[in-house]
Parts: sequence; structure tokens; C-alpha cells
Amino acid sequence: MVGIPSYNNAKTIGHVVRAVDAGLAKYFPDKKAIIVNSDGGSKDGTSEVIKNTTIDHNALLIQHPLSMSHRITTPYHGIPGKGSAIRTVFQMAVDMGASVCAIVDSDLRSITPEWIELLLTPVLKEGKDFVAPLYSRHKFDGTITNSIVYPVTRAFYGKRIRQPIGGEFGFSGNMAEFYLKQDVWGTDVARFGIDIWMTTEAVANDFRVCQAFLGAKIHDAKDPGSDLSEMLVQVVSSLFDLTEKHSDKWKVVKGSIDVPTFGFRYHVGLEHVMVNVGRMLGIFRDGLDNLDKIWLEVIGSGDFGEVQTLGAVSDEKFRFPLKLWATIIYDYAIAYHKKKLPPQHLIKSLIPLYLAKTASFVMEVADMDQYGAEAEIEKLCLDIFSPECGTSHSFFFILEV
Amino acid sequence: MEGFLSLILEPINEVYLKFKGFFPNILAMLTIIIIGICVAWLVKTVFLKVFKAIKFDNWCDRMGITALMRKGDIWAKPAEVVVKVIFWLFVIVSIMVGFSALNHQAINSLVNQFFLYLPNAFSAVLILFIGYMVAGFLSRAALIAAVNGGLSYAKLIANAVRLMLAVLFFAMALEQLNVAPKIVVSAFTIIFGGIVMAIAISFGIAGIETAKRIIEGEKTKLENDKKGDVEHI
Repeated sequence: MVGIPSYNNAKTIGHVVRAVDAGLAKYFPDKKAIIVNSDGGSKDGTSEVIKNTTIDHNALLIQHPLSMSHRITTPYHGIPGKGSAIRTVFQMAVDMGASVCAIVDSDLRSITPEWIELLLTPVLKEGKDFVAPLYSRHKFDGTITNSIVYPVTRAFYGKRIRQPIGGEFGFSGNMAEFYLKQDVWGTDVARFGIDIWMTTEAVANDFRVCQAFLGAKIHDAKDPGSDLSEMLVQVVSSLFDLTEKHSDKWKVVKGSIDVPTFGFRYHVGLEHVMVNVGRMLGIFRDGLDNLDKIWLEVIGSGDFGEVQTLGAVSDEKFRFPLKLWATIIYDYAIAYHKKKLPPQHLIKSLIPLYLAKTASFVMEVADMDQYGAEAEIEKLCLDIFSPECGTSHSFFFILEV
Repeated sequence: MEGFLSLILEPINEVYLKFKGFFPNILAMLTIIIIGICVAWLVKTVFLKVFKAIKFDNWCDRMGITALMRKGDIWAKPAEVVVKVIFWLFVIVSIMVGFSALNHQAINSLVNQFFLYLPNAFSAVLILFIGYMVAGFLSRAALIAAVNGGLSYAKLIANAVRLMLAVLFFAMALEQLNVAPKIVVSAFTIIFGGIVMAIAISFGIAGIETAKRIIEGEKTKLENDKKGDVEHI
């Protein structure tokens, strides 16, 4: 089964359906397959596009499959959001006894039939329960993932899943049943944070996880309403909530290990990404002038002193120390746990610091290739593990949980 | 001579008789007040122990109540503050009940007025407390949003939000206390109307060019900023 959650994606969903259909026909011709579109009440004709999308198997040099894949479009119920849409896919997977499932976003422009093979085969042939995506991305892209989500997930759960909030996943029928049984569908998971929730639950509950290299991820122009503050609040609050929930699991984690990676890795030519470093540092300095009381309360006088020193450094020489960033993330996790501020305010107050860290990263890796940039991210992950930062803070956090 | 003595003794006797009639009332008042203070002290001790047992202070820390108190310049522990409030509530009520034991018409009417006024006072305190919380929450939200939006006058916006809400809730509290309600409403209307008028005049007439430049500047800035946005997720 392949699930496609959607909401007003008529422009792009046709391509996604064609790629999924071709992938199922080409790589799983002897399997019974179903494409489930879980829709949030689209008004732009998304459902019609799905029904009317056809594929010429001969043109794609695909043998006619033994069993054609069926398509179902169903509205989801419950709290509006991607989480509720995916829950419907889980429910249908369990009801139909699906042995393997995948979920792909409906706004993808770069999806190919091979994505379906890569997301489903590790479950079918290797007995994996959860397949996370691995993309080739521009070194400046995915900064929340690179500077917060990946290092924290890796440090806390000990598995190196490079794209924990990728958006595309493969999973077994057992995994779908496990997800469905969790009592989270009336919470924020149903609205947002479903991606990090799925990944974290899989690693924290010792399911067999792996990742599959899918190539470049290009999707539709982002929703103008989904601004940085909202994205950061959604992702980081979900991450911190899960950290609290699984405190007994990560207490015993020491170090991290690679997870099996499938797919042929290759370098992709990526579009240049413009970064306005001056604006980012401007917001950081405004934050220093205006959010000083909040930062002092959250990160303490020692780290705040370091941040103040950074405020006086010129743009060209500006470098955000990795250890300081790691400590700040832990301080924010503790402040979130202790409810020092309302969650929205707390996480939004992190934005100027996050932008400063991002600006520093952009300048540091400006002349590096993709591998050099990746090495910098690796350094941050190692700093989060270091005894003078990660361990001491984790220990403190454990005491307080 | 007897007439002279009776002239002296009669008033004394009268005062004595009045005092004799009034003394039990004073005694009753003192007894009520003393018992009230004892009960208040007992309740305070019991509550303090209960709060300690249920770790009330820790709960307040977690709920952000302690932080709220610190922001309001209250540095005592939350449990201590609550038991102090309970203690003084008992003391004030017992003093008022004690006064009513004097059974004097003027005092009785004063006590009645006090008890009738209590709901208003309580509502006013509640309004001020809610106002303080709402003003703090919204001004902080405005401050963070303005900083993240790259506005250089973030603190000014946050202070303006706090001031406007403080004026609004203060006026509501005064109206609840029935303190010159007509003047309060008029003053509030004049202040708010004045602020809106000042903004309208400064942007609409006097500073039309400046306002235009600011709006165009912000628009261009936003467009330039959008061009430079990386994909964060």
C-alpha cells in the first residue's frame, strides 16, 4: 500500500500518482497493490486528478502487471492535519492486512518510480520495519534538520538517521499496527510533528530501522503561510515532547551507530540557494538587545555571556561555537521540560540564536563541497555527545525528569 | 447636698449602666477576633503543611506561577504567599464579624457595606490579575514576533501592547469598584481615542511621506528577505 496525504495539491499530485503507479507496476508486478489518497477536503479537484491520472506502461517499458494497482480517495476524520491523514493510511493498512506500506508527500516534483522500490523493498526483502528517506540536498538546505533534529535524535536514541523529518517513509504492516495503537491521535501529533513522531517511535521502540537514498528532493514552492517560527515550534516542540516521553529509553544510550542504508548513492547537481546572512545576524543582534531577559533565564549567565560576546563580532568574523550551540539546545530542552515559558514563546525565542548558528554555518561551509559541509554537521553531533556538554546536561535532565 | 451628689452620680451611673449593657458586646467582639486570629493561624499552619506535602512550590515552578510572581517582584515562595493571603482573609473577616457583635447601627451598616462590597473588590483583583497575565503574555508574544520579523523597534511595540492592555484592565477594575464609573469610562475613551487619533494624524497627515517610506522600505525588505530564504526543514 502506498499512502498519499493531500490537501489542495491538484497541480502536483498527478505526477506523484504516476510515479507511484509506475513504481508498483515495475518493481512489484506480482503483488496486489493499492494507492490510498487521504485527503483533507481539497477544493481544487485533487480527487479528480487522482482518478483521471493514467499511465502508459508501454511507454515506460514496463510489462503489464498481473494485478493493476487500485486507487482509493478517502477523506480523513479527526483533527485537521497531516497526522490525521496518515492515521487513515495506517487504519486502511491494518484493515486490509497490508504487509508493507509507504507514504509519499503529494507536492513532490522529483519523485520517480525508483522511490517506491527503495521505500518498500527493505521491508519486503530485508525484514526491516521502518525505512527513512535519505536525500541529496544543497548544503544550505534543511538547516533545522542539520542543526537540531538530526544531532538530537542521534544523541538521544543512538541511531544515525540523517533525515528524521523527511516526509517519505516505508514501513511494515506490524509497524502500522503499532502506530495505530498509540494514544496520540487527539494530540498535536495529529496536526503536525507526525514525521519526527514516526521516526522516534520506531527507533525508541527498537524496531528494525534503515534508510534509503532517494536522490534529490524537489517539491512544490513552500506554503507562504508556513513560516520559520511555526515550523520551528512544530518540529522542536514535538522533538522535546518525545524526549520527555522516552526518557527511560535514552538514559541508557551511549554513543550512536549507523543504520543500514540502501540505494545507489550519487552526487546530484543542485540549484544554488541564496542565503541572506546579514539579515540573519541582524535578527540575532536584535534578539540580543530585546530578548536578553528570556535568554538569561533559559541559558544561564555563563552561556549568555558568550552569546553577548558574539553580538559584538563583525559579520565577516562571526562564528557560532558548536559547543555553545549544543549547550543551548540542551538548555532549551530543560526549560521546555520545566515550563519556564509557554512553549510557543520559548521555542520562538530560540529563532534569533538558530539564525545566528545557521549564518555561521553558511559562512563556514561557503567554500566547501557537500562532503565538507557534512563533516561540519558531524562535528556538531560529536560535540553534543561530549562529556562537558551533552553528558552533563543529559544527566541533569535525567535527574529532573 | 444630696441634689448635688445625684447630679454627679447620675451621669456616672448612666455611663456605668450603658457600659454594663455594652460590655458583653465588646467582650464578644474581642472573643470573636481572638478566636478568628487563632483559627486563621491554625488554617495557615495546616495549609502550609499540606502545601509542603503535595510539593505545591514545585508545581508552581512547573506551571510558571513562580516565574510570574518573580516578574511581579514577589520573591516569597508561592506556598507562603497563598497561606499569608488565607491568613489575612480570615483575620479581616473575623474583625468584621467581631464588629458586627457590637450591635451598633452605624457599625452594622458599615460591616454590611463591607461584605456587600467584597464581591466587587474580589472581581477587581481578579481582573487586575488576569490583566497582568494577559498583558505580560501578549507583550512578550509581540516582542518575540517583532524581533523574529526583523523589526528594530520591537521593544517599543511590546511596551505599547503592555501599556494599552494595562490601561484597559485598570479601567475595567476601577469600573468594577464603582470608583467614579462615568469619569473612568470617559477618561478611558479619551485616552484610547487620543492614541488612535495621534496615530491617524501622524501617519495620515503629518508623516504621510515618512509612513510611505517606512511601508515601502518594509515591503522591499520583506521581498529581499524572501529571496534569501533557505529551506529550513
